[in-house]
Order: sequence, then C-alpha cells, then structure tokens
Amino acid sequence: MTALTLLFAVAAYLVATGAFLAHVIFGKSALRRWAHAGLATGAALHLIALGSRVAVFGYQALAPLPEQLSLIALLAVSVYLGVALRAPLTAAGAVLAPLAFLASLSAYYFEQGPMPGPTGSGGFWLAIHVGHTLLGYAVFALSFCLSLAYLFQEHQLKSKARTGVFRRLPPLETLDQWNHRFVAWGFVFFTIGILSGSWLAQRAWGALWSWDPVQTWSGIAWLLYAGLLHARSVGWRGKRAAQLIVLSFLLLLASFIGVNTLLPGRHGIQTSWSHSS
Amino acid sequence: MESQLLIVGVNHHWSPVEVRERLAIAPEQVAEFLRRLVAHPAVQEAVLISTCNRVEVVVVSPTPDEAVRVTTEELAATRGFSDLELHDALLQYRSREAVRHLFRVASSLDSLVVGEPQILGQIKDFYRRAAAAGTVGVVLHRCFHKAFTVAKRVRTETGIASRAVSVSSAAVELASKVFERLDDKTALLIGAGTMGELAARHLVAHGVRSVLFVNRNFERAALLAQQLGGTAMPFEELPRALVWADVVIGSTAADEFVLTPEMVRQALRQRNFRPLFLIDVSVPRNFDPRINQLDQVYLFDVDDLVAVAAQNREQRLEQAERAELIVEAEVDAFLRWLRTLDAVPTIVALRDRLERIRSEEVEKFFAHHPQLDDRMREDIAAFSRTLLAKVLHAPLTQLKREGAKHEKLYLAAARRLFRLDHDEEED
Repeated sequence: MTALTLLFAVAAYLVATGAFLAHVIFGKSALRRWAHAGLATGAALHLIALGSRVAVFGYQALAPLPEQLSLIALLAVSVYLGVALRAPLTAAGAVLAPLAFLASLSAYYFEQGPMPGPTGSGGFWLAIHVGHTLLGYAVFALSFCLSLAYLFQEHQLKSKARTGVFRRLPPLETLDQWNHRFVAWGFVFFTIGILSGSWLAQRAWGALWSWDPVQTWSGIAWLLYAGLLHARSVGWRGKRAAQLIVLSFLLLLASFIGVNTLLPGRHGIQTSWSHSS
Repeated sequence: MESQLLIVGVNHHWSPVEVRERLAIAPEQVAEFLRRLVAHPAVQEAVLISTCNRVEVVVVSPTPDEAVRVTTEELAATRGFSDLELHDALLQYRSREAVRHLFRVASSLDSLVVGEPQILGQIKDFYRRAAAAGTVGVVLHRCFHKAFTVAKRVRTETGIASRAVSVSSAAVELASKVFERLDDKTALLIGAGTMGELAARHLVAHGVRSVLFVNRNFERAALLAQQLGGTAMPFEELPRALVWADVVIGSTAADEFVLTPEMVRQALRQRNFRPLFLIDVSVPRNFDPRINQLDQVYLFDVDDLVAVAAQNREQRLEQAERAELIVEAEVDAFLRWLRTLDAVPTIVALRDRLERIRSEEVEKFFAHHPQLDDRMREDIAAFSRTLLAKVLHAPLTQLKREGAKHEKLYLAAARRLFRLDHDEEED
C-alpha cells in the first residue's frame, strides 16, 4: 500500500518533469500549470507514503539514507510550490522536478522493512535537529536548481541565443536574488540543525563536537555556505555565485551520501544500501 | 535605351556589422564622395544612404554594369577596401528591384525592426545632402519624393507604425532579460545620436529611475538632460558614471571605442559586480565587443536587436503584407513615369496635347463664324496645322536629340511645362 502510493508519487513527479520540459520548449502556459499540478500531486502522495511508513514503523522508518533523500526532495518541492506562487521561478522547477523524481524513485527501489535503530536518543531535540538539517538541505537543493537555471540563462544571454527557451526564462536579477535568499534561508536552517545536533551530541556522547564524520563534513559544508554568503558582499554574485552554489551543493550531497555510506559513525542515519543488498 | 535606377551597397541582410561599420561614410564626406561618383560618365545621378543597417548608393545610369563597377571602386577607394574584397560583400538591386527596395527602406519595411520610424528621417537627410551636393537629377528627385509619399501612405494606411517596435524598445525588451525591474535602475547615455536618444526616452517611459548624459560636447549633454530630465556629466566623468549606471547606451559618432574592457572592469569592481547592461546602437561600434566576455556584463550591438525584431515580426506580418501591396502599386506608377522620360512617349504626348488644343480652338472658331463656307474652313484648318508644325519643329528635334543623349532634364521639363503628367505631384 505504502509502496504503491510512493510509486504514484514517482509517476506524478515524472509527469511534472515532462510538463516542465514541454513548457520550456513550447512555451504554453497551460503546460506550466500541468507541471505544478504534477508536482503538487506528487508531493501529496509522497507525504502520504512517508506518513504511512512512519505510522507502521515509527520515526525509525525515516532513518535509511534513501528515505532521507526522498524526504529532502519532498521538502524542496513543498518550498518550491510555496515560493512559485509568488515568483517566476519555473526554471528552477524544471530542474527540481527530475531530481524529485530520482530521489523518490530511489526510495521506492531501496524500500525495506523496519530496522533496528539507535535507541535512547530522540524526542523534541532530535526532531528539531533532523527537521532543520533536512530543511536546510532542501533549500540548498532549491538554490542549486536555481543556479543551474541561472547559468543556463546567463549562457543564453552571453551567446545571444535567439531560441524560444531564452524568451521564457525569467530575468537574471530575479534568479540571482532568489538564489541569495535560498542560500540565506538554508544557512539559517542548517545552522539551527547543527547547533541542535551539537546539543544532542553533548547529551548522547558527552561532547558538543567529537569529529564524528557526519559532524566534520557538515562543519565543512557550513563553512562553505558561510563563505558563500560573505562572498556576495564582496561582489561574488551572479554567475560566480551560481557556480559556487552548484559546486557547494554537489559537495554537500556527495559528503551526505558518501559519509553515510562509506564511513562508519555513530550518527542515526542508516547506511541502508549495504544493509539492503 | 533608357537610364536605369540601381542600388549598390551593403545592408543587414547580407553583411555583418563588421563590414557595415568599415564601409560607413561620415556625413561630412558624403558630398565629396557623390561628386566624385557623378564625375564618371556612367553615373548621372547619385544619392548615398549610410545608416547603422545599410550603406547603399542609389544611382541613375544608362550603363548599369559600368555604374556598378565605378561605384564599387569609389566605395573601395573611400574606405580602404580592396575591390575584390568589397565585390563579394556588395549587393545590387536594378531597375524595378531598386525602386522597390528604396520604397521599402523608406517605409521601414526593410528595417531590422520593421516599422521603426527613424529611417524615413535619415533618408530625407541623406537626400538633402545629395541635393545640396548637386548630384540629384530629375529621376532621383521624383523617385525620392515618391518614396517619401509611399512611406507616408504605409504609415497612415497600415498598422505597422502604430504597433512598431523600434530599435530602442527592443533594447528595453532585452534589458528585461537581465533586470527584474527598471524603477530602481539608472541609465547612462553616451553621445547624442538619434537612436541613443530614443532608447533613453524609452527607458524613461519604462520607468527607469534616473538618466545620466555624457557627451564630449557638454552643452549637448546638458540640453538632453534638460529635455529628458536627468543629469549631464562631463566626458571625463565617464568612469564614475559607469559605477552608477545599470543600463548604458552608446550612441556617439566616434571612430574608436569609447568603452574598453579595462574601463568596464574597473567600474565593475567599484560597483561590487552588480550587473551592467550595455547597448551599442552606433556604427562604427562604440563599445569594444570584448567587453561581453566580462562576467556580469551583457553587451548587445545593433545586430543583436534582430532577436527582438523577430519576436514581433509574426504579429505584424499581415500589416506588412498590406504595406507591400502599397509599395508594389507605387513602384508600378513610378516606373510608368520613368518610361515616359524616353523621348518617343513624350513627343507623342506633346504632339497629342497640342493637336487637341488646335482642333478644339478651330472648332470653336467655326462655331463663332457660321458664315464661313467649306473651302474657307479647310484653308483655316490647314493654316493652323502648318503653324503648329512649324512651332513644334525645333522643340521636338531638340527633345529627340536630348533623349538620345540620356539627358532627362529637357524631357522632364517639357512634360512639366505642358502638363503631360496628369498625376503630377504638388511638389
């Protein structure tokens, strides 16, 4: 039942991806509405699927890495839908939709039963920690999508492209401003996530910071994004900012997946791919 | 054989801006160029049109091939091209094609941005220059005035001009690809070219917050600032203006680059890399094209505005077709007139006209004098015919001779003196 719901969510994301693509190519505004409807439907089904998993297995069900990624995708889609009502960010949606599709597909593919998780820790602070960290990741993912759209649009302008796609992209200024906003929001969420995580670490392991691989890499990512925010004030905006954001997010994603898969740690995220195979 | 109208030159259909700017002839050189051209026996009349999108010489010649060769040589000599190099770039229109082309250009049907209003004024200006230089004769006089009439008809009878998107509004449209809004942006106009001024007006109309004017001639900048509302700055202040401005329009008559990559790089650093949108509407170009390689800078020249022109072309296709019909009809009318400048039709028309007057007057005389018998009437009629033949003999011989020399002046004068053209214009 849960699996089937998730499969429908995957399908809805796929429809949204196709509609976005068609919209960008053919420029019919009806297609954009279809794309947004697809994303909204996908997000709703996705939420139901995750919710029913939690209902069956408890919060522990969200611990495996694919589930985490799919949760990040769900959050990113939700934030996007909220913002897209107010700003012309269709270009970012066009990048986001296929990513949401891939994330939910991997969650469907690697889906597994209940697993024993670390016990003891939990409650309010864990929710704060996980929630904000993942929301941070989600918003960073959005800025990644926007940056790709920015770089594409920038390239079109520089090369004086005269294609139809060019006409439908929003002004660079809009993309750049939202990019900055997303990085700032993401940074706030991420910071709260790290601080609350440190508080949990203090309780569980006896130290705020213990060079656990996840902690270390999160710390590196935090510094990277802090640098990004600062760089803007000294003129690293537009194309350079977009390039940095793309790099930063790829690094963030690689470390998130890599650390949790390869390096043994005490963190709550399950190295599920090795378990399930 | 009769003289032909032909046009030799380059325009935006065939030649990139690099060629057009090299071929552009400065306003003060126009008269001299034209005089040198008509000094050749192959060229009877000549007008030069040199705008951003075209450098075209309109020529009347009895020997078109020779005229093309001569014009090519003169253009090459004036602008330092080798003949061969230029020969490949040049485009020519002959007789009907040439008339149609001129009418279409004047009506802005051949413009990058169809329907833009500047071109007619520019053509009138170049026509006046040629007239002042004394290289306009009967044919081009008539042809250009006809072109102005056609342009007026196209503007009033079709919707082309009312929906027109000028080069300047194309610039505004491109700016909207970089900027979300203009009401917090500053525009900077360098120079005082017509196109630049129009672009500045457009930006003001689209709510740009403020406009700066920089000109080598400070008075000119101050005047514009007063007219459009804005601030004039001395030319030396250009680096500072670049820090404040977000949209920069280049419209000077300078031969060299007014803006170099180094200047823009400096400005960018000081403006904390806020994006800079540059529009170069001048030919030769004012902004070094390498500027476009800098991050956060978007440079567009006249050719790039094609993109925007293409966007609106579809909607205007129908209007343009109606305009083409008007042009076609006027081309026919003009060519009919041109043919009458051959000696034979003029002589026939002249003889017909006078013969009609003669017979009418004789009939009137007979009606007043019913007492005359048939014999007297025949004598009087014969007398009037002889008188007319004697009077006409010298002028007709002269017209035949002039017609053979391809000199249209006398033929045109005769047509005018005796009102042989019923559709003769008011001018």
